[in-house]
Amino acid sequence: MSSSDFFDRSEFIQYFRDETDELLQAIDADLLRLEQFVDTGTLDAEIVNSLFRALHTIKGSAGMLEFGAVQQVAHKLENVFDLLRKDRMPLTESGINLLFEGRDVLTALVRAAVDDGEAPAGVDDYTTRLDDFAAVYDSTAQAIEGPRTVVEEHDDHLTPVDHEQVAAFEAEVERLLAAAAQGQPLTDAPPAPEPVAAAPAPPAAPAQVSAEPVDVDAAQAAVDALFAAANGAAPAAAPIAPKPAAAPVAPAKPAAAKPVPAPESGPKPVAPAPAAAAANGAEPKRAAAAKNQTIRVDIERLDMLLNLVGELVINRTRISDIAGTLGRELGGASAANGKARASDGLSQLAKDLSESSALLARTTNEIQESIMKVRMVPIGQVFDRFPRMVRDLAKARGKDIHLEIAGAETDLDKTIVDEVGEPLMHLVRNCVDHGIEPPEVRESRGKPRHGTIRLNAYHEGNQVIIEIADDGGGIDLQRVRDKGIRIGLITENDRLTDREIIELIFTPGFSTADQITDVSGRGVGMDVVKKNILRLKGVFDVDSVQGEGTKFTMKLPLTLAIIQALLVRVADELYSIPLDAVIESQRIETSEVRTVHGGEVITLRGQVVPLIRVGEFFRLNAPRDPDKVMIVIVGLQGRQVGLVVDSFQGEQEIVIKPLSDVIGRIAGISGATILGNGSISLIIDVHSLVASAYGGGRVTRAEFSGV
Amino acid sequence: MSETVQVVSFKLGSEEYGVEIAQVQEINRMVAVTHVPRAPQFMEGVINLRGQLIPIIDLRARFGMPRVEHTKNTRIVVTDIGAKRVGMVVDSVSEVLRLATDAIEDAPEMITGVDTEYIRGVGKIEDRLIILLDLAKIITGTEKRELEAADVDAVPVG
Repeated sequence: MSSSDFFDRSEFIQYFRDETDELLQAIDADLLRLEQFVDTGTLDAEIVNSLFRALHTIKGSAGMLEFGAVQQVAHKLENVFDLLRKDRMPLTESGINLLFEGRDVLTALVRAAVDDGEAPAGVDDYTTRLDDFAAVYDSTAQAIEGPRTVVEEHDDHLTPVDHEQVAAFEAEVERLLAAAAQGQPLTDAPPAPEPVAAAPAPPAAPAQVSAEPVDVDAAQAAVDALFAAANGAAPAAAPIAPKPAAAPVAPAKPAAAKPVPAPESGPKPVAPAPAAAAANGAEPKRAAAAKNQTIRVDIERLDMLLNLVGELVINRTRISDIAGTLGRELGGASAANGKARASDGLSQLAKDLSESSALLARTTNEIQESIMKVRMVPIGQVFDRFPRMVRDLAKARGKDIHLEIAGAETDLDKTIVDEVGEPLMHLVRNCVDHGIEPPEVRESRGKPRHGTIRLNAYHEGNQVIIEIADDGGGIDLQRVRDKGIRIGLITENDRLTDREIIELIFTPGFSTADQITDVSGRGVGMDVVKKNILRLKGVFDVDSVQGEGTKFTMKLPLTLAIIQALLVRVADELYSIPLDAVIESQRIETSEVRTVHGGEVITLRGQVVPLIRVGEFFRLNAPRDPDKVMIVIVGLQGRQVGLVVDSFQGEQEIVIKPLSDVIGRIAGISGATILGNGSISLIIDVHSLVASAYGGGRVTRAEFSGV
Repeated sequence: MSETVQVVSFKLGSEEYGVEIAQVQEINRMVAVTHVPRAPQFMEGVINLRGQLIPIIDLRARFGMPRVEHTKNTRIVVTDIGAKRVGMVVDSVSEVLRLATDAIEDAPEMITGVDTEYIRGVGKIEDRLIILLDLAKIITGTEKRELEAADVDAVPVG
């Protein structure tokens, strides 16, 4: 029986990909932590062990799926960590760089294997370099070409349990435990037991009749991984304990296909890693992650569920409308003709209906909230990739940069997390490239040599705030202004506030030719970043103090599908304005409306607020009220704009539905919603409405650039 | 015996049109249509079809015919074109016809009412001429025009 008969391969590949992605992410994080120990002569054993385990799991799963190249590179890397944890290799700068590179090679290989793509270039070159590197420290490293060859060598070596090896291993475990208990760093293993070096000598198990020899210990790891999946354990749990242990005792297993660890050897080897870790206190986070029981669910299924809940919300509103109307009609009728008796039964029914509709509303709300929560994922998923990126970029630019991350656990809707990665990445790159100055410059300015980039996320009301701040040079206003004049956005005579100058960088095409705000010369400007955030119904803001640094702030909604809206009437149609954009609504005498440069404005608490008549913008037949104007004040980048409507119709929770793409994108409209009575209300897209209304003139464009 | 196609026939003015039955999802009486501002002028708006938002095209406007008041015979023919569901307002729906494929001819030059771009052919049944529409073109045309409109109305998003 070949191993592939045990499982649906494609499903396992999917699982492999997900699991490996997470492990590679964890490897990245661990390598970054490990890097702090470079040239210090000490090591955090827990980190090395965690890396070893992660690689071991990848190797095992790859072996199961016969991804030979992945397996081989993982094996070689694992070997290096083995040397490290045995203190047979010092941790050097070049070593850690090689390991970082190895992680990338592995990532590329995994991708190629999973997608059936072509093998990435340079793998052989890399493995050669890795071999050469390891060979300096371990004469056996080159000999261990890979598990497969070794298995063949020992083909006739069918000892089911090597008691000596198990005993040696137990001794090693006890030594490690003792060391851990005393809080000592894990140093030299006595050369005799050499459990891991001996590991790749497992006999081909009798149960394996497949033509190709199988790495028993890899297969075991894969089976463990499968079981971990079946148990619904978080993938992070998979690498936890059994793996490092499984390596030395693997020869004891007669059959790789047998998933349950052999009782006599299984539990014991589990001990060393966690125990050692507990001793140095670095483990708790990982352990906590393991305890969370999770399952993977296709996001499409959640989307469908959310859609259905949307329908439910609509009908809930509808039913309470009906109940309300019924109650009023009956009340009115009985009062009118005094036939109280005739309507008694009906009144009771109406009352019942009203009660159960209230109950229905409550349950629906709870379902809705639960579904929203299910779709929430921590922003850390995106943040996780930055430490490595900043490290590499900073190195390449010859800068010294610390990245501080806070609030990685802040969660928001999966869709938003997915979409926000790209803009965040541009901003972080921007901070590294153009924000933080080179060390010498920093010193000459009296700043510490190393710059700091802070990533922070937190909840604020119904929004998530993400901040990216650096302590670099800030935006050079003079240069931005000069550039703005050069490309004709403004003229010499324009008097712009600092804020207005900063806004210039969001003009499409502004940044591409200049180094001030250019994102690594890739032709992707800040305008794209801003546009992406606005598309997510977010708000984007920049604060910059010259010489002190720049802070980007984005405010994002927790979710996109259901929002609070203010309903307004314009020319007999009901429009919805998302409440997050609304500051207040005002009823103002027509006489208070003034005209400046042909545009209408009002003065509100000393601030001049331009007006947009929604009816006229939408070219509706909306006659002006001679006495008063109803104004919804909306906020945009700290500015205020007044939308003139016919009347306010209260707030309501609405489910956003996209307009059909047959209609296409329409300026000022972001979608539609179905109201409780079945009628449709279009949702006003405040950003595009204002941008479109002020789209023409140059001056107003400067004023509202980036909207 | 030649092959036949089943066609839903409807009227715009005095002319009779047909749409292949497989593309017709349902036929509804006229309902309240929510106007979508700044949309192409032949877009009548959107309707709520059992919780689904369906865009409605005024076929008269699409073909450049004069608009008329809706009557009790006015219908919305809901069609599925690829993955898109679109409703079309027509003066009245006549019947479901069987047309022999060899009785369908290419669109002749003489047809003046409708831009020949949207016509797949003309079917003859007894004395009647049924103009068969190419629905996909009606929508692609929509998008094309929409893009043109967007150019005129370019929004400087920055």
